[in-house]
Amino acid sequence: MAIGYYFIALLGIFACITNAEAVETDQPMVTFGGFGTLGVSHSGMRLGDYTLDSGIPKGPGLSEDWSTTNDSRIAGHLAAQFTPKVSAVLQVDSEYHTGNTYEPEVEFANVKYAFIPNAYIRVGRITLPTFLDSESRDVGYTYIWIHPPVELYRQLAITHSDGVDAMYRVEFGEVGHTIKAIIYGENTIERSTSKSISKDMWGIFDTIEYGPTTTHIGYQERLASSENLQTGVTGAWVRNSDLSVGVNYDPGNWFAMSEWIQRKSTTKISAMYVSAGYRIKKFTPYLTYSQNSPGSFLPGFPPPTANSIRLANRAQSTVSLGVRWDFMRNTDFKLQYDQVKLSDNSNGFLANVPANVILYGERFHVISAVFDFVF
Amino acid sequence: MKLPVIIRNCLTLSLLLAVSTVTSTAHADVVVIVSAKSHITRLTVAQTAKIFLGKASSFPDDGDALPIDQAEGSAIRDEFYSKVVRKNSSQLSAYWAKVIFTGDGRPPEILESNVAVRKAVANNPNSIGYIDKSAVDRSVRVILVP
Repeated sequence: MAIGYYFIALLGIFACITNAEAVETDQPMVTFGGFGTLGVSHSGMRLGDYTLDSGIPKGPGLSEDWSTTNDSRIAGHLAAQFTPKVSAVLQVDSEYHTGNTYEPEVEFANVKYAFIPNAYIRVGRITLPTFLDSESRDVGYTYIWIHPPVELYRQLAITHSDGVDAMYRVEFGEVGHTIKAIIYGENTIERSTSKSISKDMWGIFDTIEYGPTTTHIGYQERLASSENLQTGVTGAWVRNSDLSVGVNYDPGNWFAMSEWIQRKSTTKISAMYVSAGYRIKKFTPYLTYSQNSPGSFLPGFPPPTANSIRLANRAQSTVSLGVRWDFMRNTDFKLQYDQVKLSDNSNGFLANVPANVILYGERFHVISAVFDFVF
Repeated sequence: MKLPVIIRNCLTLSLLLAVSTVTSTAHADVVVIVSAKSHITRLTVAQTAKIFLGKASSFPDDGDALPIDQAEGSAIRDEFYSKVVRKNSSQLSAYWAKVIFTGDGRPPEILESNVAVRKAVANNPNSIGYIDKSAVDRSVRVILVP
């Protein structure tokens, strides 16, 4: 992928040299900003770790009593507007991940060319707009919860990758459409014992805005496989397709939103949440229910192994009650209480559960607190 | 007399809330303006909101629209956004954080006073701003009284 970055750098230099058009406003050409979250959480389930995604190696529960691994991060964002049409961004994010480190990763690095103000193409590292908040899921300050609902957001197979995306914004009367299309190159995600590989990925997404209602519809496909890091054997390539729909209604003092996804590979899985909140001056209490279904195996594939049955059957549901307090400019404090219920035939998404420990049907609570900031 | 810490904190919190309520009621009379040289005569609340949120980059008749904002924390800005966009200052900061950190755009240029906004708008037929009604003169045209 190094070639990709040289390409971006070259494009940037090219944009600087060919800066013939004057920038229309007096805004600075290069701006630096960033965001971060300091978070701590505790789980009442002491036989497994409560982690937000499979890339986080440990969390509250078994490994730690109070843990900072789930929600803490810091990121820097550099944006450059070379001409009214050419701009670039670089975003580096440090959070706890595989390998037990906070080693920074490049989340965004792309060059944008806006043909007209309502249409652009970007080349480089871009994020996948599967959900309403998936592109800004790391920026806690931008949403109401401690973190986006786990059962749905764990279905986000890929967060970012190197490729090309295009956006076109168009209005029909009072209805605005923001249409995005993406094509990704090969993507690998390393876990402790395996490596997930995706290729031939594309997707199309439409965000429809009408008054206080925002609707988001997305469809994406990819070929996916997994390499066993011990044996070096790569499994069969399977076509994955994801269909996602989300609605947000926000007339001002209150909001309600819901999102749903159906994922098809060798199995079919769906997940959803509903969430609502009410703004009382600087406080916003909210309530969320989220769940994911167990995977049902689709015909036409070899019989599943014991491990693939275990991975497909990780259903759980969560009721969350929380409050966001906007106590200072560009800073918030949030508290959240989750009641998690594991399905009757799985340990849900709990990580590091010792072999032979069965927690089927268990209920437990998670308490989390975060400070979010942007600068 | 020494109050227990929790009661003292509650009192401080209520005092802070009371102060914030008082400041938010001290409002200005905001009007949306374009240059007297512009041919725009009126805009709806929804059209104005789209321009200031960066969701529309042109006026409904297709001319480029260049919004000019006022300083964060100013009463005139809070009144404009609560009336036109129906967002308070925290919701607006959260909105722009999402736009900026996803690389989708950047917020409008900020000028620090009614007079500075009026002068900038008067000089550029593509500009659109909002100022207090009392600062309006013949160099600009009021196109919306939200």
